[in-house]
Amino acid sequence: MSLLEVDDIEVRYGAIRALKGVTFDVNEGEVVALLGANGAGKTTTQKTVSGMLRPSLGEIRFDGQRIDGIPAHQLIHLGICHVPEGRRVFPMMTVAENLEMGAFRFKKPDSTIHDRVIELFPRLGERYKQFAGTLSGGEQQMLAIGRALMGKPRLLLLDEPSMGLAPLIIKQIFDIVKEINEQGVTVLLVEQNAAQALALADRGYVLETGEIVLSGTGQELLTDDRIRAAYLGEEIAS
Amino acid sequence: MSASVQRRPGESILSNPLVGRALGCLALSFVLALMIGKQEGTQQDFGLAFRQAVLGPRILWFLLIGVLVFVLLTFWPRVQPYLNRPGIRPLAVGGLTVVVAYALLKWTDSTAVSDGKFGTLSDAASQTGTLAPLARTFFTAPLPWVLFLVAFAVGAAAVVIRRAVLSWVGAAIAVLAGVWAWYSHSLVQSLLGSPDHSTGALVALLGFLTIAAACAATALSAEESANTRGFINGVFAWRPGMPLVGVALLLGLAGFAIATWFSPGNRNATLVDTASMFSTTGLSPLSKAYLGWLGYVLFALSLALAAYAAYRRDARLGWGAAGLGLVSLVLNLVALHDISAVGASTAYDGATGAWQNLGTGGWLACATFLLLAGAGYIVATAGSERGTIARTKADIAAGIGKIPGKSKALILFVLAGALFYPPMATPFWQKVLVSEIGIYVLLAIGLNVVVGWAGLLDLGFIAFYAIGSYTTAYFVGALPIQPPEWMRLSPLLCIPIAIIICLIAGVSLGAPTLRLRGDYLAIVTLGFGEIIRIVAVNNPGNFTNGPRGAFGIPQPEIHLGPIHIDWGQASLQYWYLLLVIVGLVILAFNRLEQSRLGRAWAAIREDEVAAQATGVNTTRVKLLAFAIGASTSGVAGVFFASQIGYINPDNFVLNNSILVVAYVVFGGMGSLPGAMAGAAVLTWLPEFLKDQVPAEDRQMWIGAVILLMMIFRPAGLIPAKRRAAELHGLDEPSSAETTAVAANEGMGATK
Repeated sequence: MSLLEVDDIEVRYGAIRALKGVTFDVNEGEVVALLGANGAGKTTTQKTVSGMLRPSLGEIRFDGQRIDGIPAHQLIHLGICHVPEGRRVFPMMTVAENLEMGAFRFKKPDSTIHDRVIELFPRLGERYKQFAGTLSGGEQQMLAIGRALMGKPRLLLLDEPSMGLAPLIIKQIFDIVKEINEQGVTVLLVEQNAAQALALADRGYVLETGEIVLSGTGQELLTDDRIRAAYLGEEIAS
Repeated sequence: MSASVQRRPGESILSNPLVGRALGCLALSFVLALMIGKQEGTQQDFGLAFRQAVLGPRILWFLLIGVLVFVLLTFWPRVQPYLNRPGIRPLAVGGLTVVVAYALLKWTDSTAVSDGKFGTLSDAASQTGTLAPLARTFFTAPLPWVLFLVAFAVGAAAVVIRRAVLSWVGAAIAVLAGVWAWYSHSLVQSLLGSPDHSTGALVALLGFLTIAAACAATALSAEESANTRGFINGVFAWRPGMPLVGVALLLGLAGFAIATWFSPGNRNATLVDTASMFSTTGLSPLSKAYLGWLGYVLFALSLALAAYAAYRRDARLGWGAAGLGLVSLVLNLVALHDISAVGASTAYDGATGAWQNLGTGGWLACATFLLLAGAGYIVATAGSERGTIARTKADIAAGIGKIPGKSKALILFVLAGALFYPPMATPFWQKVLVSEIGIYVLLAIGLNVVVGWAGLLDLGFIAFYAIGSYTTAYFVGALPIQPPEWMRLSPLLCIPIAIIICLIAGVSLGAPTLRLRGDYLAIVTLGFGEIIRIVAVNNPGNFTNGPRGAFGIPQPEIHLGPIHIDWGQASLQYWYLLLVIVGLVILAFNRLEQSRLGRAWAAIREDEVAAQATGVNTTRVKLLAFAIGASTSGVAGVFFASQIGYINPDNFVLNNSILVVAYVVFGGMGSLPGAMAGAAVLTWLPEFLKDQVPAEDRQMWIGAVILLMMIFRPAGLIPAKRRAAELHGLDEPSSAETTAVAANEGMGATK
């Protein structure tokens, strides 16, 4: 059975149908990438899974339990942690306080997770007492991921971790995501950077105007002509 | 900014920056001349005010100010380096303080003085005919000003030239001048012989001491640039508790040697006089001994013990000093009660009752013993403080780490003032303390939760205050619709009920509106505030009694077994009731800020989406902020209704809501001490200005103060750590605290 099953969900912003029946699943231990152009519905899908939006039709199941309509602050207790788009660290809190907020769901935070996060991101240890707003973009992204890890996720929702970052930093971030995955956390990754995402992902889905138009393993998608034309910007000799 | 600016052909003379600046300074002179002083314009003759302000010889003073500003601006680059020298800030503060004390404050509030209302330094000087020569000399017309100018000029010269000898000379002159002023004033007071509530001499003394401190700082510091905060921290860190001992020494000397202890029938009796007055009466032996010798001995002993304990940093001696101070405090209070009660029972010179007719001396002694006990306590506990403690001199100067006992010491200063200043104040100020300062401090503490911590702008906060007041009016039976007999309550018992009703009101306002953000929420709450007031005016079901409101609300009382306390008409007793309420609220809220809930508020204030993503139930947390704020406001409402005895909808106008927001912002959003300080300062200021400026100008001066504050200290009087960082650019949190205070912010930053 899959860890996460998204079954034909439809999400509306007023009269606009942002998702028109999206179906996919994520198996335990996988990295699954959601690809698509701007406005395709990637972020909407992720927000719906994390409980910030409510689907008007369809079902979402996590570990066999229906979760659509459960608000985000309760979903986190099931182990679904969301790294929102644009990082969204708390700028006026120190790195330490940000991490502490990540463990907000526990009445008594577990210090071993904290140590593991610092081990994973030594940079955060160096900047421990600094306000998060003073960090560079890459460091902020690391902090956002670290903060989510503090909530002991089973499923980590990552929304465009590469946004606005230099290629070298993007590679670093993806390496860390891989490491996190190897430690047993399932990852649902939303990305525009298709090449990097697919190299990492076990499987991928391509969204277009609110519908899934293509799916397959990472390797399959990477070699798919349509993907290469649309997202990797390569000229295809036809 | 060079002084020689060439004018290119074809350019208007006005575009020369020097000319523009000169015109600006001229305009400043005229505007100040129009603003300051009494004017008598009429509807028929608007020009009168202008002619009086501008055409008289007094305009010369204002032109002088204009010239000074012009010179300062023109030679700014050459002046600026000196502005960061050590000692310059305290010098400026001390100078301003003395000027205020000389020009504005009362030196006597005796009605025997010609003016009757003001009693400033010049009025006091006119009463000096029969004074002792030393005091008479002080009051000779230009001498106080000459003394001040000399002390200030020597201080300024010391800052510029940086000679240690000069600094010490300046410090000596300043101390002498301050003591001389205080001594002369006390002689005037005993000559006029009426209860003394004037503050002029005391403030002048403080100002001179600040100047002396500036000189000392100049002499002692080797650094090139000022670090006033580092210096103050150093004083607090040298020996924890010692600053308290120092202040206690000054207060104790004033209290035991000069100040009045008992003043029935326009007589000022110092401790010695009081002791001889009561030597033949039926005063209890203990109190007789206290007045005669025990008081001095206790003062000397506890002072010595506290000082020695602080010097040795010995925790056991510290506990000893704390105990001795508290015992002395109790004995002192017993003696004060006894002399006033015995004085009243023998109808001595028309003495009126227990705790009446007491002068300042006894209360100063109380404050002294409290501070000494506090010093002992700080010594005893300084070793066990948590968090990183500042270790080295460099740490202290840079503001890294905690100064052990510093916040405790500051709290003790405030506590001593709050406990023992009000009985020394005039009835007018006692009333202001209760019905303005105290109540608005409580309201500001409540609103700070909503605005400062949760970041929700609430412009209808006064509505909950109204709900609290009307709840009280209903349950004590002061409204047309009476509660059933078994539900009638005494006012104090209404507090829990008002809390519950305001919680419900807060939640029911919050639930439908909290999805709104920022400006929209502000507008909705503003509407809510007005709705509550208009409902009260419209009198639905004859419940609120319409615009006439409720009257005959009884005063609070406590009858609990053997304890009977009745709050009557006098303001002073309400002050202590309010102190208890505010104290409890502060204790609770201090806990709250550090709690999970406090962290959740901080998170949603910074980023609601991220807060949600980390598992904060944003709706619930925001509702809680609303409800907690509302119930604090409700408690204030209960207090207000039962103290004043009558309420009507006019007490709850929109203006009051906006004022509370202004207090919180002025004091420092999100900082508990800040919100309290903001409310205290901005409610005190209008009352203080009543004596100083024409009534119609008052709001303008307050507006000017708020404006200056927002320009030079935008994070508020006592900024919260995070707000300060927000406004000063992001920096390391430890240094953010220091940049919020000193650095190049303020005057230095305006180019």
